[in-house]
Amino acid sequence: MLTAAALPRIPVSEDQVLAEARNGNESAFASIVREHQSMVFGLAYHFLQSQAEAEELAQDVFLALHQNLSRVESARHLVFWLRRVTSNRCIDCVRSSQRRRELPMDDLHEPAESPRFGDPLLQELLRSLVAELAPDARMVVALRFQEDLDLSEIAAIVDMPLNTVKSHLRRSMDALRRKLAARGHVYES
Amino acid sequence: MSLEQELRRTLSRKDPPAGFDNKVLSRIAARETVSTPAQVRRWPRAVLPIAASLILAFGASYYLQQEQQQRHTREAQAQTEQAARDVVLALQIASEKISAAQAKVEEITRYEPTNDR
Repeated sequence: MLTAAALPRIPVSEDQVLAEARNGNESAFASIVREHQSMVFGLAYHFLQSQAEAEELAQDVFLALHQNLSRVESARHLVFWLRRVTSNRCIDCVRSSQRRRELPMDDLHEPAESPRFGDPLLQELLRSLVAELAPDARMVVALRFQEDLDLSEIAAIVDMPLNTVKSHLRRSMDALRRKLAARGHVYES
Repeated sequence: MSLEQELRRTLSRKDPPAGFDNKVLSRIAARETVSTPAQVRRWPRAVLPIAASLILAFGASYYLQQEQQQRHTREAQAQTEQAARDVVLALQIASEKISAAQAKVEEITRYEPTNDR
């Protein structure tokens, strides 16, 4: 069985790594997984708010990538593909199961993981408020602030008109400001 | 700090649990497959307008059909009412004629000599 530790990192360009992976080189594919796993897992985690579900979904995304490597044209396209498939799978996952936005107990308290990043309680609150957003809006917010994408890039990834994306983002930010203000955290728009 | 900055901190990229890449590779080695990427299974954007147009067309057709049926019903009802009115009128005329005839008969009967003598 292949293990990532046994596979050496490949110090070549991303397009070259992709070409190698397309040719069946499993170590090149492992390199792609390591390169992009925090992006895919992060999006899934911020969206689903469950480490277990996010991990399973992220694994499925990379499995789908492995099955569809021949369709990926470049390293740039690879990133777009991963973001798009992750977004769609997250939204489908929520819609198909009609899952309620409940935070699993094992995911609730993780402040020790990022002590250098401000107020962990506020971050926990923000995460739970983001989780209350509608699926499409939640994904727009996750792509905007995790990946720092501009609105046209987000529109292409989630396959929505630009104005819809703008509207989702504006309404989400208004809702977050309002709910934070109700809890004593006031942010100007 | 602005809300945008706070969101960037909160929603930053996150590493999966250790061994994530090995789990992916194990599943690949086990020849496990996943369903077609979700975006392929999604309905094309044109489906919604087409469905809406079809619903509108069927709705309009049904409405027109109902409207036509109601018009036919109204016309038939009007014809029935007219026929009823005609019958009543005819009966009234007949009744008047009979009354007049009866009056004539009574008048003639009153002045006609009797055969009692």
